[in-house]
Amino acid sequence: MTCADLTASFQAYVDRELTGVDREVVERHLVGCPVCARQVHLQGRFKAAVRAHLPRPEVPLALKLRVREALGAQEIAPRRWPWLSYPRLVPAAAAFLLIVGITGTVRQTQSAVLEQAQRSYHAEMPMDITGSDCGSISSWFRGRVDFPVHAPTLGGGATCQGGRLVNVGERPAAYLVYRVQSGHRVTLLVFDPRDQALEAPERRVVNGREIYVESGPGTSTAVYRDHGLGYVMTADLDEDALTRIVTTSFAH
Amino acid sequence: MKRRPSAADFEREALPYLSALYAAALRMTRNEKDAEDLVQDTLLRAYRFFDTFQAGTNCKAWLFRILTNVFCNNYREREREHVVMTEAESSPANLEQFVGGGGADGRDVETALLGRMVSADVEKALAAVPSDFRMAVILADLEDFSYKEIAEIMDCPAGTVMSRLFRGRKILQGLLRDYAIEQGIIQPEAAPRDAEAPVDIAAYRRRREQGGDAS
Repeated sequence: MTCADLTASFQAYVDRELTGVDREVVERHLVGCPVCARQVHLQGRFKAAVRAHLPRPEVPLALKLRVREALGAQEIAPRRWPWLSYPRLVPAAAAFLLIVGITGTVRQTQSAVLEQAQRSYHAEMPMDITGSDCGSISSWFRGRVDFPVHAPTLGGGATCQGGRLVNVGERPAAYLVYRVQSGHRVTLLVFDPRDQALEAPERRVVNGREIYVESGPGTSTAVYRDHGLGYVMTADLDEDALTRIVTTSFAH
Repeated sequence: MKRRPSAADFEREALPYLSALYAAALRMTRNEKDAEDLVQDTLLRAYRFFDTFQAGTNCKAWLFRILTNVFCNNYREREREHVVMTEAESSPANLEQFVGGGGADGRDVETALLGRMVSADVEKALAAVPSDFRMAVILADLEDFSYKEIAEIMDCPAGTVMSRLFRGRKILQGLLRDYAIEQGIIQPEAAPRDAEAPVDIAAYRRRREQGGDAS
């Protein structure tokens, strides 16, 4: 193993995250490589020095009192599935939940991905990668999500702004941010649509393609499939303007 | 039949982490009033749902997960933070400048840059790190959570934890260096950056736009 092969694992080594063979490989290398040994030593010292400079502040007495008072006025919510306390009933309860789960899944997961996209839009979360080159942003997701990401061209002078790695359900997904020429922000959640029903209150068909649209306060959201991937687009635009952007992305 | 948890159970299991929660809340919200509100919201929520906490599992991680959720839902929007990263890829020489060599050459961390900075400088630098990266640094370096625990707390893959932590530390180093120059602790010319690293935000953006990878 060369220094370049191992540099990436130094952080995990310093954080004591490496075990077994992984740890041994790094330690063997450090014994014979003073340059890397120094780098690891410095990383450890930096971590320790930052910690030494940031002691825990004292908890204000007022907060302690507030917490005690607030807790005194509250109760622990009653167990939501009390029958789970009776072991004999667990198999029956599990079978019941399975049946309800199968019939209830569609609605639940549908609202989950839509709500997630809307929440993320309003939260304006910081990006993992920023830049105006959609190609670079797309390729940043290579190896980070389980499908190829191609940030679509949205037309109207839209430019890419950045991307962020998120989760949809249990799977990693790509969150892309654009700015259109009119200054509006458009976000696109690209995800593996297995287990996700893509539906919203209003169904529209444009150029023979189905999209589902929903509008909330100040924003609209469109949900659709393209090349086997799920997409949720959100923008501070009305439903028609958003539909036009989606249609343009199909054309490209 | 399992006994329902009581208020006394909650006090015993959760309240010992009050000071850890407050420290993280203060560094995330960056002001005392919001920090107190965030801790109170977190503990009330934890108390209400305490029956879903499994006794014997990691209560601290469970509480931090709630804190992170409450922060993201109610406080992050107030931050109005900039998305721009003030990231500097520190070379080994730069890192040495922060902490000193130690060991054979006799230099100690006290004589190095971080030794000459006061806690308030480091607090200020940490406060300027974007929230996701700051959270990763706080959880790993100040609260000793493992990558797996941080992934659960921040609800992201372990690989993302590693990259946020890596970049969070780099951004922190860049900011510390800027403060050191600002306060005359070091001279700009005495603090060379890696030749590959951007010298300012505009240069950094240009580099990204030319196809640089942020990872």
